Amino acid sequence: MENDLERITTIVRNLFDEYEGPVTPMLSARDVAQWNSLLNVQFLVLVEKEFGIQFSSRQVAQFKNIGELMAALQAKRTPQ
Amino acid sequence: MVSREMIPAGHPHIGKLVQHQIRVFPEHEGFLRERFSSLSDAGWLFIEEIAAKVLQVAGERLERVCEDYRWLSGVVLEEELHFRRTGRYRFATFEQADAEVYSRPELMSRYMNGLLASQLWWRNHTEMLNYFRDDFIECNAVGFDHLEIGPGHGLFLYLAAASQRCGHAEAWDISDASISNTHHALNAMHLTRQVLISKIDLFDAPDRQFGSIAFSEVLEHLEKPRDALAILHRLLRDDGRLFLNAPVNSPAPDHIYLFETPEELLEMIRNAGFLLESIRLSPCTGATLEWARRRKLTISVGVIARKA
Repeated sequence: MENDLERITTIVRNLFDEYEGPVTPMLSARDVAQWNSLLNVQFLVLVEKEFGIQFSSRQVAQFKNIGELMAALQAKRTPQ
Repeated sequence: MVSREMIPAGHPHIGKLVQHQIRVFPEHEGFLRERFSSLSDAGWLFIEEIAAKVLQVAGERLERVCEDYRWLSGVVLEEELHFRRTGRYRFATFEQADAEVYSRPELMSRYMNGLLASQLWWRNHTEMLNYFRDDFIECNAVGFDHLEIGPGHGLFLYLAAASQRCGHAEAWDISDASISNTHHALNAMHLTRQVLISKIDLFDAPDRQFGSIAFSEVLEHLEKPRDALAILHRLLRDDGRLFLNAPVNSPAPDHIYLFETPEELLEMIRNAGFLLESIRLSPCTGATLEWARRRKLTISVGVIARKA
């Protein structure tokens, strides 16, 4: 999980280059001026490519913060 | 009530529209705050004028227009998802766009309503309207004869035909529904000049020439934009001016030709035999031009051109 946050942090720093605050599980679009709905799509696709997974359209619209995103990543790894 | 932080006093039309839009689409308030955050005095004047026109066109359908803008925003996000995953627009042919969009009257109606509202809410759309009026129409020769191809919501056509410099204005479109929509819009905006809107396909254009041609947000809907530019070159008088506006990296349900950089589009226009008199690059709401280039976000490319 820690490694997941590091990898997501790299994506956040590269995409939202004006944001200099911490990247924590509580971080959300509200905290980052550049993070609007279009950039949210771009962010999640970068996460998909980094982790080799794909979210549903519904998931793309629903993550409230980095923590929920990380939970979804973990769920995709856990055998059903 | 929309706070005066967002809309300053003395702008009742845009204030009314923002109020309606936020009521129907409350999640969009942050986006609209960003959109209006750094408008100049001249920018506020212009958007208030356009808002008055949008209110006239929307009339009793204002609620529906705002709801359809919300719907369009969702559709655009779906297209954005496909675009970011694949690097391509979903459709590549007119047949695909026709099957999924143009041949579906209910969807087309929603789409056109949404696009009408986007002329205010998407900063790049408003900036292209402003560029068109101030740098193209009001700099045309007095008595100019004007053609618009694909007039759609009618705002560009209205700005041209309502100008005191305009001598004659007409438009061509391939869709009966679009022609009807444009007629409605011009009547609602109380345009006094008669404007003929004909069902003519650019690719079957008659042997005529015009001193002023507008071709706004059409190129990205065509399989062969180079062929279209060649026809525009033929249609433009030797001393005429062309206004052209197309977006780069702009996924939408019926966009089929992907321009990836402004330079790709500008080179295509030059290669068609045009000299670029002026260029305006307008990034999407919330983005600087530099950031939009780096992250391949939508940039509206406006060009005023003459024959080389």
